Amino acid sequence: MAGAAAQQVSFGGLADRLRPYTPLFLLVFLIAGVNAAEPGFATLTTLSVVLSDASILFILAAGLTFVIMLGGIDLSVQAAASFASMIVAELLPRVDYAAFPATVLVGLAFGLASGFVHVKLRIPSFIATLAAAGVMTGLSLLMEDGRTVSLLDQGREESAWIAGAWLFGVPNVIVIAALVGAGGMLAQRYTRFGRYSAAIGAGEPAAIAAGIPVDRYKILAFGVSGAFAALAGVVLAARLSSGSPDLASQLLLPAIAAVIVGGTAITGGVGSIGRTVVGALIVSIVRIGMTFVGVDIFAQQIVFGAALIFAVFVTIDRSKIGVLK
Amino acid sequence: MTSTWLSPRAGPAAGSAAPKWRALAPSRFGAIGLAELAPLLVLVGLCVALGLLNPSFFSFRNLVWGVANSAAIPLILAMGATFIILMGSIDLSIEGALSVGTMIVALLCANDSNANNFGWWGPLLALIACTALGLANGLVHVVLRIPSFMATLGVWFVGLGIGTVALGGSEIRVLDRTIRSIAFERVLAFPLAVWIAAAMFFFALFLERKTRFGRYIYAIGGGEDIAALSGVPVKRTRILAFALAGFFNGVAAVLAAAQLGQANTTIANGRLFMTVTAVVVGGTSLSGGWGGIANSLIGVLIVAVLANGMVLLGISPYVHETVQGLMIIAAVALSVRRGRSLIVK
Amino acid sequence: MLELDKISKSFGAVRALRDVSLEVRPHEVVGLIGENGAGKSTLMRILSGSMRPDAGAILIDGRQVVLRDPKRANEYGIAMVFQEQSLLLNMSVAENIFLAQEKPFMRLGAIDRRRMIEAARACLAKVGLDVDPAMKAGELDFAARQMVELAKALALEDRTDAPLTILFDEPTSILEAKDVAMLFERMRALKSRASFIFVSHRLEEVLEISDRVYVMKDGEVVAERLAAGVSAPDLHAMMVGREVKGEYYREARQSPPRADVVLEARGLSVAGAFRDVSFALRRGEVLGVAGVIGSGREELTRTLFGFLPQTSGTLLIDGRETVLKTPTQAVAAGIGYIPRERRIEGLVTDISIAANVTLARLDLAMRHGFIDHKREKSIAEYWINRLRIKTPSAAQLCRNLSGGNQQKVVLARWMAARSHILILDHPTRGLDVGAKEEVYDLIRDLSAAGAAIVLTSDTLEETIGLCHTILVMRDGAVTARFDAPARAKPKQVALLEHMV
Repeated sequence: MAGAAAQQVSFGGLADRLRPYTPLFLLVFLIAGVNAAEPGFATLTTLSVVLSDASILFILAAGLTFVIMLGGIDLSVQAAASFASMIVAELLPRVDYAAFPATVLVGLAFGLASGFVHVKLRIPSFIATLAAAGVMTGLSLLMEDGRTVSLLDQGREESAWIAGAWLFGVPNVIVIAALVGAGGMLAQRYTRFGRYSAAIGAGEPAAIAAGIPVDRYKILAFGVSGAFAALAGVVLAARLSSGSPDLASQLLLPAIAAVIVGGTAITGGVGSIGRTVVGALIVSIVRIGMTFVGVDIFAQQIVFGAALIFAVFVTIDRSKIGVLK
Repeated sequence: MTSTWLSPRAGPAAGSAAPKWRALAPSRFGAIGLAELAPLLVLVGLCVALGLLNPSFFSFRNLVWGVANSAAIPLILAMGATFIILMGSIDLSIEGALSVGTMIVALLCANDSNANNFGWWGPLLALIACTALGLANGLVHVVLRIPSFMATLGVWFVGLGIGTVALGGSEIRVLDRTIRSIAFERVLAFPLAVWIAAAMFFFALFLERKTRFGRYIYAIGGGEDIAALSGVPVKRTRILAFALAGFFNGVAAVLAAAQLGQANTTIANGRLFMTVTAVVVGGTSLSGGWGGIANSLIGVLIVAVLANGMVLLGISPYVHETVQGLMIIAAVALSVRRGRSLIVK
Repeated sequence: MLELDKISKSFGAVRALRDVSLEVRPHEVVGLIGENGAGKSTLMRILSGSMRPDAGAILIDGRQVVLRDPKRANEYGIAMVFQEQSLLLNMSVAENIFLAQEKPFMRLGAIDRRRMIEAARACLAKVGLDVDPAMKAGELDFAARQMVELAKALALEDRTDAPLTILFDEPTSILEAKDVAMLFERMRALKSRASFIFVSHRLEEVLEISDRVYVMKDGEVVAERLAAGVSAPDLHAMMVGREVKGEYYREARQSPPRADVVLEARGLSVAGAFRDVSFALRRGEVLGVAGVIGSGREELTRTLFGFLPQTSGTLLIDGRETVLKTPTQAVAAGIGYIPRERRIEGLVTDISIAANVTLARLDLAMRHGFIDHKREKSIAEYWINRLRIKTPSAAQLCRNLSGGNQQKVVLARWMAARSHILILDHPTRGLDVGAKEEVYDLIRDLSAAGAAIVLTSDTLEETIGLCHTILVMRDGAVTARFDAPARAKPKQVALLEHMV
């Protein structure tokens, strides 16, 4: 019995140890594949484009990772990002640089609110965040009657640094994403929040019985998701020099896909910010690679939808789901 | 209370009167009775308030075109969604299906983009395609064992992608007058669309009340494990329900193409949100098992009357989404059966 | 006649059933008793078709049958009335009775509702239940729901030629006294139509309703008696099998408790669960709570850890009056909890041993507000050594540990958190003998070190063997209090008198 168990562990161990690296292999394989089809792909210029694209996606997906690790979902990140782009565009001319932290704080507040609604009113997270998305979309439409707000001269100046490049020509967007990534990884490894998120996602009843204030940390995770989504919205607004109610509306699926394709399971527990980095890169390369090879932009959604289903199929832990709804 | 736990030490009392088995005290279930009536009361209250604020609300013209006609598509969408939500699942792919369906109708009938003129083949094919998408939802969900919100999220974007690719990102106008007549032809004062929606409502009501399928939907929502133990074909029913929802989405897509006279990339925007709001506001529980088709009719009317009222009162249409979001939260929060499960995800 | 011939069933290395043979004759009520883990539930699951035996045969009227699934079992005339009731509360009584059996009522593709209601009314009449079949099952009280389940089982009559056998799993545990009497009256009346297997913890009731009784222990049938010839204490002795002997529970290491009271309850009550419970737990004392299912002891342990706040009475921790509203508060007050569902509530099985050990007091592994992984590792390794947890490293996931080692990790968490009050909720459930003995040693260690312990257990002998003091509960109230010093342990029969 003991021998059989040990054997199983060693066999399972190898597969288990390789499994987290599957997305990484996929990433390398993709780069090689696209480059073989279009040899111009793996150049410094395209790399910079891919990384910039992946950066925004990653910032959006970073907060989402915490929520998904808890076993929940946040369907409001794209609405939060668009909302943030409107707010920052409105605020920049009025309060200068304070607009940036203010916008992120608004995102945090809305995230906390939808987390509160989900946890305290016991509403499933997908519906609570769907509703939050409706509220935020409504508000951003209301702000300028559905119109886009262009950043005027002053706003442009103040937001130029985001779109610019200070460090050896590395776009600042990438630097921001790297900071977010590093912060997220450190938070996961070194803070209560990171540890408790993992524990709650992996076994909520046990986390409760260990005395962890589970509700508080769940709400916090939604707050983090809202704040990062707002940050992504700010970056987007700066790059496009405008805020708009549907600026990020195409980004929900790629963001969820980035998290799941990276290897974080929607059943919670398993996952990390590091995986989302890989996932965001994969999604961006598929996006830009497809454009590069000449696939219609719209067709990419088909690929993402199918890829999402496949990634969920592979990563999901069915032992955690009693009745599949 | 506690004294009643005592187990009997003696046999049953001899000569006791015939047993009267009781229902639980009405006090406990009186509350639920009221909760069940709440959506209807909200609807009536809303109508009365609007009528007072703007008498033209009750004008025949407004009731037909402002309320009934604009409720037609939401009602049809809500019929499919109700079956899904009754099972405790969700169908997020509504907008994807609408996008595919309208695209097929527009491309196959007489239009301003190609030389096709296949008439009613367009709507028929749209129905088949949407049903197939629904079937795909069900198969992915049941066979691959993926939670429905994820399965349908994937299919949502697959559908949206197919729709936009086929349209090439532009909009295509429907020139076929017979198809457009669905939206404008009047029968007994009401547009044909309203009659179609009514037919769909009664069809759904029949399925819910009179067929085994309807029974099994409630059984699965009330307790899937218990249903399976009793021999309910759970998997088959689930797949069928998603395919059925796909069919309703298809009908709605045909009506949408006829009403708007075109297919474009944004035709479906906001439909999912409105549908879920209507179903939930009508009193169907997201955890499944409670509520039904009739509830959804009331829910759709609440949403439609509210939207109509805001137009009449000159409130910015952009407030709608915000109001709907708050309505979902309020409705779900009020209807959640607390204590049923400790952990909500 | 329904016969089981040498049925065996194993789960991994655990033999749940070993050569179990029993028979149910026509028009008979057969009682089935045994402690938790004796194999009753497994046997019922096999009979109801939701589990297949590894070996042995099931015969109906001498013909061997295979009960592949619940539906098949139904076709062979076997129906189960579940302990957790299996009615769909959102559907009507009639719909419940004929769920998945609607075919006879179909007309032109539609269900003939009126005919179904009439048929349901006939079924309800068989069990003497006078309710409207169109009523939702959720509107009925527990007793009436149980009758509907019985009616559902009896509806089998019309679908099968096989003799009817109805399995009752703990049917009386949630019923009020007069409803139990009613149920028994019905069962007696229905004996002309069906046979019954009646599983219950309430021995008096088993004796009252049954014609014959089978006693199970450790997966085997150890006795078969005519109900007329035995008493409840006799049955209990057969269930338990042996009186405490020797040093199994480390009685020699039982040290007298200290003087200072750390946990005190005064008239503690939770409406609908237990009432007026008082005790004073001293440092180093092990307090056992004995009682059958439904006695309120499970709820009492949950209350002491903040899952179920008291509705009246006072709880004092270290002399301070407290209402524990959440486990978080309980942990902050120095209480640790070892749940019986080890893999669900005890451990987060998919994170490392180290993370589980520090889960309740992460601050011990933190420096300047951040987790110090080196420090965490050394804490975990200290406890791994001290409790002799068998694992290659502290980074191992808990799911890879054996049950006994998992239990030690849970204990290590609370020891690391320096919890001075421990609630042990069936701490040895599901452990093999060796692991159990290690847990007994640990309990003695903890007690000697001054921890105050509240303990519930699956067996009376374990409770008696381990505890200094024992509270006996029945029907939500404390019915007796025993001192159990090492050399003068009370007899099980003495406790039992106050339990049933």
